[in-house]
Amino acid sequence: MKRQKTVYEAAIDHGFTRRDFLKMCTALAATLGLEYTQSDKVVKAMETNTRVPVIWMQFQDCTGCSESFIRSSQPKTESVLLDMISLEYSEVLSAPSGFQVESSMEQVYKDYKGEYIIAVEGSIPDDDSFLSVGGKSAKDTFIKMAEGAKAIIAYGSCSSWGGVAAAYPNPTGAKPITAHVKNTPVILVPGCPPIAEVMTGVIAYIITFGKFPELDHLGRPTSFYRHRIHDKCNRRAYFDAGLFVENFDDEGAKQGYCLYKVGCKGPTTYNSCAEMRWNGGVSYPIQSGNPCIGCSEKGFWDNGPFFERRAKIPGTQTTINPDEVGLAALGLTAAGIAVHAAGTVVKKKKDDKRGEEE
Amino acid sequence: MSDLMPNLPNQTPNYYTPETNSEASFHPERPIKYKPVNESVKVYVWELPVRIFHWVNMLAIILLMITGVYIGKPFASASIPEEAYYSNLMGWMRYIHFFAAFLFTVNLLFRLYWVFKGNKFSTSNPLRWVFWKEVFQTIKFYLFLKNKKPHYIGHNPLAQLSYWIFIGLGSWIVMLTGFYMYTEPQHASFWGKLFSWVPYIFGGDSYTIRSWHHLAAWGFMLFTLIHVYMAFRDDYLERNGSISSMLTGYKVEPKKLVGGKDEK
Ligand code: HEM
Ligand code: SF4
Repeated sequence: MKRQKTVYEAAIDHGFTRRDFLKMCTALAATLGLEYTQSDKVVKAMETNTRVPVIWMQFQDCTGCSESFIRSSQPKTESVLLDMISLEYSEVLSAPSGFQVESSMEQVYKDYKGEYIIAVEGSIPDDDSFLSVGGKSAKDTFIKMAEGAKAIIAYGSCSSWGGVAAAYPNPTGAKPITAHVKNTPVILVPGCPPIAEVMTGVIAYIITFGKFPELDHLGRPTSFYRHRIHDKCNRRAYFDAGLFVENFDDEGAKQGYCLYKVGCKGPTTYNSCAEMRWNGGVSYPIQSGNPCIGCSEKGFWDNGPFFERRAKIPGTQTTINPDEVGLAALGLTAAGIAVHAAGTVVKKKKDDKRGEEE
Repeated sequence: MSDLMPNLPNQTPNYYTPETNSEASFHPERPIKYKPVNESVKVYVWELPVRIFHWVNMLAIILLMITGVYIGKPFASASIPEEAYYSNLMGWMRYIHFFAAFLFTVNLLFRLYWVFKGNKFSTSNPLRWVFWKEVFQTIKFYLFLKNKKPHYIGHNPLAQLSYWIFIGLGSWIVMLTGFYMYTEPQHASFWGKLFSWVPYIFGGDSYTIRSWHHLAAWGFMLFTLIHVYMAFRDDYLERNGSISSMLTGYKVEPKKLVGGKDEK
């Protein structure tokens, strides 16, 4: 097995000073949600841990996850890419292409079996004819690489839940990658795309501690997915007050009222947008006036129109306006009752008459 | 207390026939209490705890329906615009919803206890063949078809079935999904952990759970409408005081139904 440079060595090679390195470790500790006193743990890990070989695989995706990843501000994408990991294969970032890059995937499989990490973007179709990369079935390549991996990171909602490609009627038979993983541990980092700092933060945690961060019941890191957008939303005060945007061009929209009535999915969406925000903490959809579409939630693509509040009929991919349907059902029932009541009276009158005659 | 356990004759009739119907053969060790009134008897059907449960349940459901529909689709806005500081409309709606939800839950748990403690009218057992035979007859009765539906002092089997579905199942759906949503901001807390298994039965994501809650809530509204109609209808047809029985506990019934001798 080849030896990789440690993260510290790699950083120094890239022109970091020791001071820069320590700063990076402290900031990283903060991103990972560690206490300040624990930042020396991060330093120790970075000094001794070698860079981890990473294969970045793309299936039925839009490359949005890669786009997000390369915009991380803390930890900086460069320091993740150049110092912490050794990115051996990536459709977007690898310098070589064609046979050359495909063979480097083979090489990693041989040299670092049980050591390397796979990052996956995109869903995998059941039918191979929908997706082959380098002339080979993408599913087969993934299954083989997954077996030899130490861990798998599912970046984005496609690899985590199936994503837009799996939207009804799901013509390609798109499935989340977990459908094809047997024994390798998988961490889900859903979002369309996930927040850059969450993406780099997860990988940095794995490299620092050599294990996954704490996961929730769906396999997502709790530190980033434990809160609903609604619970941390900057517009929440307007929700509680009862001040709602009714239309995107009304006064409420200008005032920054709550977007609940224009379909905000914040109350059912787990993600850290409201806390970490996007683009280095500049803003996030709700802050800039767009309701949350729930992009990190399983099945969000089939949860009805983005700008309407609806309810899903459990077990189906159909959503309805529950209050409209409910009122209609109530009306029908009332009409039925009126008819039944009339029938009851008529029948009783008849029966009473017969009783008197007897 | 006298109302709770009225001192009424309740000698078990010696010629009582278990085949009469599902009600007569049900829990013979919990005898029916009644008072003779001319040809009829005043039967003590709904014990005080059952009546209290009924009206508390009604109050809670009305509060839950109004506030719940508001939460789902806020049909009114705060009257003071611009600043969130001055109003708490949704806040109050949610507060009342949660208050009523706790009332609803405690009330229902108490009623479950009374299933074991109360008289035979306070419980039901659908796991008897005769129960389903009579459900079928009762359905025919409601469809104005020729039927062999016997008369019941308590709920007829179809009514019992509707309680199983709406009070039995429906309540648990709204309670479990409701409490799950209630603890969503704090999954790691004690209460959060208590309901952490709810997604496994209701299908994973938060949106689906919320949808269950909202749809089941409309189920309650449909049930309420039908339930009220049925009660008035029964009162009209039988003239046995169905409506007032939920206040007084008593229904007027022919003597033979409780096993007494028919004088005629
Ligand atoms: C123990 C019983 C119940 C509990 C704990 C409960 C709790 C909740 C909670 C936490 C919410 C979400 C509020 C929010 O996110 O701001 C909610 C919404 C709602 N509740 Fe309940 N509830 C209960 C029973 C009921 C009942 C009996 C009804 C109606 C008959 C009802 C109707 C509704 C409706 C319509 C919503 C809105 C759902 C939506 O937004 O889609 N709830 N309830
Ligand atoms: S904008 Fe969305 S997330 Fe924010 S308070 Fe309103 S409903 Fe909740």
